[in-house]
Amino acid sequence: MEATERFVRGQGRYVGDIELPGMLHLAIIRSKYARARLLRVEGGISGRDLSAVIPDVGEGARGESWKIKQPVFATGQVNYLGQPVAAVYADNRYLAEDLMDSVDVSYEPMQPVLDEQEAMTAEPIHPGLNSNVATDQFIGKDFEAKDAEVVLDDAFKIGRIATDPIETRGILVNYDGSRLNVWVSTQAMFSIRNGLCATLGLPITSVRVMQADTGGAFGSKSAMYPEYAIAAFVSMKTHRPVKWLESRKEHLTASRPGRGVSGSMKLFAKRDGTVIGLKGEIIVNGGAYLDGLARFSPMFIGMQLTGPYAIRNGYVRAISVVTNTPPLGPYRGAGRPEAAFFRERMMDLLADELKLDPAEIRIKNATDQVFTNPFGMRIIGSRQFMTEAFDSLEYYRLAREPNGRRGVGISCFVLVPALMEGESCKLKVDNGRIKAWLGGNSHGQAHEVFVRKLIGSTLDVPTGVVDVQPGDTDMITSGVGVWGSRSAIVAGYATVLASQMLKEKVVKTKGLYTPEYLLAGNYEAEVLNEKFDDPSLNSFGANLVTVEVDELGEVTVEECRSYYDVGNALNREMVKGQIAGGMAQGISSVLYEGLIFAKDGTLLTDSIASAGVPPARELPHFVTGITEHPSSLPHGAKGVGEAPTIGVPPALVRAIEKATGVRIRNIPLHPEVLIGPEK
Amino acid sequence: MKISVNFNGRNVDADVEPRKLLVDFIRDDLHLTGTHVGCDTSSCGACTILLDGVAVKSCTMFAVQANNRNITTIEGLSKGDELHRLQSAFIEEGGLQCGYCTPGMIMTSAWLLSNNAAPTEKEIRNGISGNLCRCTGYDSIIRSIQKASSDRRGGRK
Ligand code: FES
Ligand code: FES
Repeated sequence: MEATERFVRGQGRYVGDIELPGMLHLAIIRSKYARARLLRVEGGISGRDLSAVIPDVGEGARGESWKIKQPVFATGQVNYLGQPVAAVYADNRYLAEDLMDSVDVSYEPMQPVLDEQEAMTAEPIHPGLNSNVATDQFIGKDFEAKDAEVVLDDAFKIGRIATDPIETRGILVNYDGSRLNVWVSTQAMFSIRNGLCATLGLPITSVRVMQADTGGAFGSKSAMYPEYAIAAFVSMKTHRPVKWLESRKEHLTASRPGRGVSGSMKLFAKRDGTVIGLKGEIIVNGGAYLDGLARFSPMFIGMQLTGPYAIRNGYVRAISVVTNTPPLGPYRGAGRPEAAFFRERMMDLLADELKLDPAEIRIKNATDQVFTNPFGMRIIGSRQFMTEAFDSLEYYRLAREPNGRRGVGISCFVLVPALMEGESCKLKVDNGRIKAWLGGNSHGQAHEVFVRKLIGSTLDVPTGVVDVQPGDTDMITSGVGVWGSRSAIVAGYATVLASQMLKEKVVKTKGLYTPEYLLAGNYEAEVLNEKFDDPSLNSFGANLVTVEVDELGEVTVEECRSYYDVGNALNREMVKGQIAGGMAQGISSVLYEGLIFAKDGTLLTDSIASAGVPPARELPHFVTGITEHPSSLPHGAKGVGEAPTIGVPPALVRAIEKATGVRIRNIPLHPEVLIGPEK
Repeated sequence: MKISVNFNGRNVDADVEPRKLLVDFIRDDLHLTGTHVGCDTSSCGACTILLDGVAVKSCTMFAVQANNRNITTIEGLSKGDELHRLQSAFIEEGGLQCGYCTPGMIMTSAWLLSNNAAPTEKEIRNGISGNLCRCTGYDSIIRSIQKASSDRRGGRK
């Protein structure tokens, strides 16, 4: 049965749905404080029983962890609200939760450091460190802009937000006496396998990870987490299956949140609107423990600050700091939205300063040829795209309409997909059918659709003979994962390459290729593609948003439109569906979302509603415009998944600014800013 | 406590702890895992079922409160192989991505259409606002519900 049919019938197999005989349920006792000395932990399983640290795996991993590593259980000191301190288990969830009261924990609260700017000067949160600054690097080259006629500077802040998939995290581990069999809700089964092995000191062959149906992720389900190690440890200790399901409240502190970045920008330009250069400082709130993503993030943001424009000079200080907040993770876009927000805010400021149209300023700074920016990022010509985009978005018509409390905003960006390490695909022909396995599998993107289509067209077989298999680390040698707008590109390419390999095998045995020869035989092919070097894979996008804002600062989004170059769309309707869902997150990440902590570190937004997942009545109808300029890959794919969370926020914020006359520097936006004294 | 509940047309007698939530009874005791859990504040609607024909979030009730009532879960909506028209419409209009909100969304939609055979877009938006979807942005869900409703108006299935 197709996945969609299983889902509408209620026959999905999410990790929470899987039952094994004798299964135990795990409950985690978590820190009540953002920072405290841990005086005593009595009862349950704790750091005394399992002393291990979490490795750097998953999206943005850089191999080596930073010097302060995240422990599975806190000992000595807790460093963020929700950090695991102890665990208990019982035959069912109710009993496990009852048992939580049997664990006695005493704390001596300390003053937490919650904000990235505060962290720059505050006393170090970890004993033994001299400062909270973890990385501090300059990228680009310092310059003097002697010919600049206009110099503008401004500072911005993007607060932390939670990914909030409707299915929270969950894992089921069954130790069978020799191996750990794991079912997990994930974006990256190999990261979880490697993470478990590294944490528990097990050989790779002793862990099998199977991806259960995964109810959304948006970035938070690729990392290794303490709870996974605890579940595995308890299963090995008890020789029973152990399930852990995250509650929503836990999700809001125990899963990695995204964003949390301050940026100050200085733009040098001529009076005709030409931008000569930019300087900036980026400070990323990495949370209590930094993995590769958190350390790389400030440079990744810095590198994209020129976006689709030909800005020749750039010099950026890129800093990441530790704070008493949950470790930073990716949230749809992961650095890309931050860069676009800082840059597009400056482009609008320049347009206002020079009294030029924002579209005109953008087109003026576009490029007609391949352009390498001061940080090494390459783009193809963007001018043609922008010109088409503003027309297609009907910007000129909408901008002319009388506005009152209405406003129109536009944005342009380049989507840099995460192609590093590529992806794997294995195909096996048997009994007239083709089985396909991928190294990274769907959590809502319906990989099976493009896999079937690409196999069908490459091998000239009906798509109905292709069975896309669920993710299983025992069935394929290696793999990467699903994030960073990569799947259609890397997994699609791996599928094409594996199909071509099958073709060659048929030619080798039969002298020529026919689909009949293929399906009548037994063939196998497996590839991991790794190399991508094509600036056209960095794809362009533009958004338009119109809003109305009432006297109380209540924002109503009226129009939300996209114009994205999605390459050769492998399924147009599904691409548009991804865009609509992403635009909803683009809007909510400005207007509704936010993880708000009180000064003492208490989380004020502790429900899915208060953390800002909007219902249908708060969102508009989306106009999902696309254009298809194929990339140089054989299947012509480009990325799209993150485009909307990159492009919508700056366009929305500009629209609100036009409607209210209030310059907006911080998101998520609080309505009081729009009516308060700042105006 | 002993209870007797009609689930999807079948009578079930059970002995349940008074504190057990209806959603846990449905999932853990009856193994009807199409009813999902997405929150702990009755905000998300992933657990929506029909209680005597009315959409109810099954995490807001104790199992014992369902005594002598009729409950329909997502598993009871289709007739064997034949999908309910809302289920077909969700597939045809792409009203789902990860599928996790889908059973709850469909149950709420079934109730919505039973009260209002041809809702406007605004009525649909309001009607499903107790159900959260993080994947779709709702447009495709609204189209799915419209499709199922116009199918009904046209006298088709
Ligand atoms: S589980 Fe979220 S409303 Fe019931
Ligand atoms: S389809 Fe994923 S939450 Fe709705």
